[in-house]
Amino acid sequence: MSPLPHLARLPVLILIVLVVSARTLLASPLISPNDAKTGSLMIKSETPGQYVEAPAVATDFDVTVTGPIIRSRLTQYFVNPANGWVEGLYVFPLPEDAAVDTLKMVVGDRIIIGDVKERIEAKRIYEKAKSEGKKAALVEQHRPNLFTNSVANIGPGETIVVQIEYQATVRQSNGKFSFRLPTVVAPRFETPAAPQPVVSVSSEAPAVVEDAQKLPDAKPWLDPDENDPVNPINITVHLKPGFKVAALNSPHHKVDAQERDGEHRITLSKMAFAEKDFELEWTAAAVDVPQAKLFRERAGNEDYVLVQVTPPAAAKATPAPAREAIFVIDNSGSMAGPSMVQAKASLIEALDRLQPGDTFNIVRFDDTLEVLFPTVVAADAGNISTAKRFVASLDAEGGTNMVPALAAALKMDNQSNPAAIRQVIFLTDGAISGEQQMFNLIAQRRGRSRIFMVGIGSAPNSFLMNRAAEMGRGTFTHIGSAEQVAERMAELTSKLTSPAVTGLAANFSARGVKATPDPLPDVYAGEPLYIYARMDEVKGKLTLSGLAGSDNWLKTLDLANAEPGSGIAKLWARREIANTEVNRTLGALNYKQADAMILKLALDHQLVSRLTSLIAIDKTPARPEGTPLRPVDVPLNLPAGWTFEKVFGSKTPVKEASAFKAIAVASKPRVHDAQRLLALPEGSTPADLLLIIGLLISLAGAASVTASRRMAS
Amino acid sequence: MTRLPRRIGPVLGLIAIVLGLTLAGNGVWIKAKAVLAQVLLERAFAETVKTGVPVKAWRWADTRPVARIRSNRLGDSAIVLAGGSGEAMAFGPGHLSGTPKPGQPGTAVIAAHRDTHFRFLKHLRRGDELSIERDDGMRFRFQVSGYSIVRWDTPGIDVTADGHNLVLATCWPFEAKTPGPLRYVVHAQMIE
Repeated sequence: MSPLPHLARLPVLILIVLVVSARTLLASPLISPNDAKTGSLMIKSETPGQYVEAPAVATDFDVTVTGPIIRSRLTQYFVNPANGWVEGLYVFPLPEDAAVDTLKMVVGDRIIIGDVKERIEAKRIYEKAKSEGKKAALVEQHRPNLFTNSVANIGPGETIVVQIEYQATVRQSNGKFSFRLPTVVAPRFETPAAPQPVVSVSSEAPAVVEDAQKLPDAKPWLDPDENDPVNPINITVHLKPGFKVAALNSPHHKVDAQERDGEHRITLSKMAFAEKDFELEWTAAAVDVPQAKLFRERAGNEDYVLVQVTPPAAAKATPAPAREAIFVIDNSGSMAGPSMVQAKASLIEALDRLQPGDTFNIVRFDDTLEVLFPTVVAADAGNISTAKRFVASLDAEGGTNMVPALAAALKMDNQSNPAAIRQVIFLTDGAISGEQQMFNLIAQRRGRSRIFMVGIGSAPNSFLMNRAAEMGRGTFTHIGSAEQVAERMAELTSKLTSPAVTGLAANFSARGVKATPDPLPDVYAGEPLYIYARMDEVKGKLTLSGLAGSDNWLKTLDLANAEPGSGIAKLWARREIANTEVNRTLGALNYKQADAMILKLALDHQLVSRLTSLIAIDKTPARPEGTPLRPVDVPLNLPAGWTFEKVFGSKTPVKEASAFKAIAVASKPRVHDAQRLLALPEGSTPADLLLIIGLLISLAGAASVTASRRMAS
Repeated sequence: MTRLPRRIGPVLGLIAIVLGLTLAGNGVWIKAKAVLAQVLLERAFAETVKTGVPVKAWRWADTRPVARIRSNRLGDSAIVLAGGSGEAMAFGPGHLSGTPKPGQPGTAVIAAHRDTHFRFLKHLRRGDELSIERDDGMRFRFQVSGYSIVRWDTPGIDVTADGHNLVLATCWPFEAKTPGPLRYVVHAQMIE
């Protein structure tokens, strides 16, 4: 693609930037990186640690979905309209499981390609390059789903093209597959003060910036009625789901879809703007027998295989098997507030979904535990209403002692109804202490039970809950807000009532295969199971066996038939990183060992992680003073697929969806009748008293011994 | 005057010494725990701020570090834990659940023991500056505006009050050795 059309558009781009800048004068609060809700280039302001956002002029998403794997490349154009050199901080949110592995950047006439390096080293290189006046970019994992990209030495009037690539997985829920692309919202812009060291936080309180004087050029465009489109987005999705698609839906955008050789190409019907996330959903056409698909990728000296097993559709008109459901609910102090409300609502929702013929019981725990019925009871109206009253009466207080509660739930299996599907549904905020015992317990005692973890509220330990569910051959459901209770619990219940293939086992004929997950979970209707494996060379067979209803199900796959796919090694590596974190948590590895393994995995597979960052230093020579640009530099890394006619031809008004609204909501005081309830805790320890009494008694004792001695002599 | 038999005297004396030292040891342990835990918490907090992932100070910890509080004049600082439970407060000041985070609108309440982490409260003066660093890396400064002595069950603290307020609470009187119903409350406002 010729670079010239792009260059020709540059004045228009700058014009848009200035219009956008003018708009931001109306409302331009300062934010810090942690407040960012969407991708935006943040320019340092005069208040240390505070940034203002530069506009994202246009964003191009190029997404390839191969089976469960999403490879997403997003390219954004920014312009620095200021007269000075700036250092930008690019903050971008990504799906929680996204792995950033590629960074490319065109800053004006320079092309910067990132490498994954150890975090500290990357930071050092960046700071060095910055102080030397070189252009540099540094991508760091800031939060599991929030990354920052610092860009040093952006010249006056320069156009910056940022290209980020990440790997993520398709979401699956109740037979529905989907992914979401975070987009950019209304941009903010402010010319920066002199460049300052990159320190993401400051000791200064947020201050209001007087920005009116800072962008005098913008004033002519400051018209409230001016509503030219900003932040256009261009989306192309290449969808290769690995099965026949029954329905394809984009709930928020109108799209055009074409199919060719099993690949769907989805594009936006008309130019869209970054006012809402893009989401794509699709469903699998029903099949009678579990289907298996294989993908392969060679990376380094090894092959990586992804096996996808899609079970038959749910509704086969056979009555759902009876369930023996044991609900375990966490009412420890950490659940206090909204979490407890959601947990109770979730449990009541689940009770409502029990069918005649099912049996159930409830265990509640904090640092104590209580079992509602002496044994499992029939799900009749009387028992369910007793259970609901019990649940409604629960208060959140005390410590968290999860292990005895799970033990009680597992032990309660009296085998009275061997045909029933036994399910333990564990509702907690995920503040699990004693993970080791949890895993030991599940491994030793799970028996025929399936363990379903329901994470309530923010679940910092969500990975461990995931793993507990996996070991318990169940699933992990996350309920983050009261609104999600009904929907998510309905989804969970439909899983609970319709396992498609149970007792799955995988056997590779080749040696030295490292496969995960292990053991395999049950497969539920409409949701494929994924097995990731690493082997020296893709060969031999994989035999999967299990029970589909009451029939034996056996499937032998010839690994040589695996189709080429991309990103499989990275997904395997991300999983291994997660496994390593778990093993460290379990005490199987110490920090040093685990960090060494994670570092190696992240470096081998070029992933940004807790320990690694992407660093790009200027690989093309820095432009000497006064030397004219060589235009050939520019086009090399420009993304394909841009249609600027569309970008600049549209007059559709754009809503000012704002990150700051979200921030304002987030920082509102939580509504509590807390003044009435607030009581101050005990503010002293018995330490001094113990010391004094203890020493007095000792002294008395010593005196008595001395006295006796004297008498004796 | 009755006398203890010769052999019993020294034995009772030794028992008293052991008992006394055990009690005193418990007292020392409470203090040591408060100090040692802060070392581990400091590390966990630094890690939390760095990685953005809540890090437990020790594996079985039932709470997590949420902020660092520091008196700039006195030089005292402590890592604040989530929740005001007894377990949390044995290791550090607790940020009471149900109150906003420091720096958010409303009144954040942090409580700690008068004989460990909040011993410095009695030395705070009006106008003193307190700095808070949260686990998300945000930093705020507060200025002490006054103090009050209240009953524990009617502290008169409005959690939803206007402005960005911080309240530090501990037991009162400071030199008492037994628990009582009174609390010493330091009020501070965020410096804009």
